[in-house]
Amino acid sequence: MANNGIGSSKQDNSSLITQTNLECKNLYEYLKNQPQNVLDRLYIHPAICLAVYRELPELARQYVIRILFVEQPVPQAVVASWGSQASSKEHNYVTKVLTDLNVWIEDSLPGGLIGWMLSPTFKKNLKAALLGGGKPWSMSSALDADKNARDVGFLDSYSSERWECVLHYMVGSQQQEGISADAVRILLHAGLMKRDEEDGSPVITRQGFQFLLLDRHAQVWHFLLQYLDTVQQRGLDLVECLTFLFQLSFSTLGKDYSTEGLSPGLLIFLQHLREFGLVYQRKRKAGRFYPTRLALNITNSQNKNAPILEEDSPKGYIVVETNYRVYAYTDSNLQVALIALFTELMYRFPNLVVGVITRDSIRQALRGGITADQIIGYLKQHAHERMLTADTKQPLPPTVVDQIKLWELERNRLTYNEGVLYSQFLSQADFNVLKEYAQSNGVLIWCNKEKRTLVINKNAHDDVKKFWKKYSKGS
Amino acid sequence: MVNVMKGVLVKCDPAMKQFLLHLDETLKLGRKFIIQELDEHHLFISADILVTLQAKIDDLMDQISFPLAEKGN
Repeated sequence: MANNGIGSSKQDNSSLITQTNLECKNLYEYLKNQPQNVLDRLYIHPAICLAVYRELPELARQYVIRILFVEQPVPQAVVASWGSQASSKEHNYVTKVLTDLNVWIEDSLPGGLIGWMLSPTFKKNLKAALLGGGKPWSMSSALDADKNARDVGFLDSYSSERWECVLHYMVGSQQQEGISADAVRILLHAGLMKRDEEDGSPVITRQGFQFLLLDRHAQVWHFLLQYLDTVQQRGLDLVECLTFLFQLSFSTLGKDYSTEGLSPGLLIFLQHLREFGLVYQRKRKAGRFYPTRLALNITNSQNKNAPILEEDSPKGYIVVETNYRVYAYTDSNLQVALIALFTELMYRFPNLVVGVITRDSIRQALRGGITADQIIGYLKQHAHERMLTADTKQPLPPTVVDQIKLWELERNRLTYNEGVLYSQFLSQADFNVLKEYAQSNGVLIWCNKEKRTLVINKNAHDDVKKFWKKYSKGS
Repeated sequence: MVNVMKGVLVKCDPAMKQFLLHLDETLKLGRKFIIQELDEHHLFISADILVTLQAKIDDLMDQISFPLAEKGN
């Protein structure tokens, strides 16, 4: 089953040269690319201000708090003087972050100095988030006790069941069911799956394989980002959905919330979240919903050690021995399918799967687009607790880790770079001029002064050609 | 005048370079594909051979590897 899409798809030149890896954005990178008016509308909601604030680098949080109650711009020099010279690099970075996110804006002081000032909407609503006040959040209306109240354990098993349904579908396990056409569309849009050229059925891509090996938290976040990309096409409002999502991420596990006052768009959004297991609803029209662990702290993508998630992550089940054998204590087809991506399965028992890591099995995974680090990361993340209590610090045998890395390196003994070769210059001066030009534009890949030969990036060829024509006419 | 050629710059270790030169000389891929030798670590080759070349190198690697793991029993 893991074979789907690996051997069959023909690689073309471009995929050999630039292999795109799965890109996992964090909240900052996501918001950075939003236009300013969207950011402004987002900052109207205290929940978002708080989420953004929590995701800022430490130094930036410091700055924000220091100027939060200052009603006039603070000169840039003053802000810079808050840190020591040694950390000026960090200062420059957070300045950029705060500007990118439109958290603060440049403003000139009466004396002609340029200063920083928190953007008014952000300031007002961060205050509201920290100090209280403002309008009640839309999900906060009071509810009577639920006759069919659900406890945390139930919500956990519900959410993991729903989410695994999506993952199952991706690995192409047979027992998949109940995944909607909408979810499939998102997977396709995200590039995690693609339509097979022959029969049009969705097959998993290399990004998809990488996606599967991420931890659950990162998976949900990545998936939601891709989903948000498509909300506008569905006629939903991006800002509205984001706001709701952030409010959801600050909600309490095991508590029910009312759907009253949600706009029709949000109700649709809620049904989508329900499908992926981010919220639980007994019935579509139940009038209440429970957020699950998947939805909590969703923006908190940086902090891998968030305590909330530890209970969530399933217990480790993989034992790896120095003889390359892998024992996986699991009965989940999904986990077996994932293990099968990079091992050769030998035996299967009701609660145990035995496989062996071989050169071929690893190479097959590498061809499918998984990297050695991802395989090792997955094995580490799900290592059986017995592996962790062993005397050595590492949960995996070092020989196996090294060998997997060596197998990967073996494939990368050649690196390719598409380019254009310039040679047989008439004079050293000509060569130097072109070399300088290419170098200053950052498109020079290789050069040799003695042979008067240089290679430039293929994409820059037109530009360099133009320059060269102009130059040779002039001389 | 300047001579301009399109292709792919290959960066590799000297041993791999010798292997590529060998493939080129003996026409193992059906034709010559190296446009220019640049130095110890760099070659300039034609772009359309890349897929075949990659397969050939995989073959070589398969030949010089020995299965480690014991299976069965």
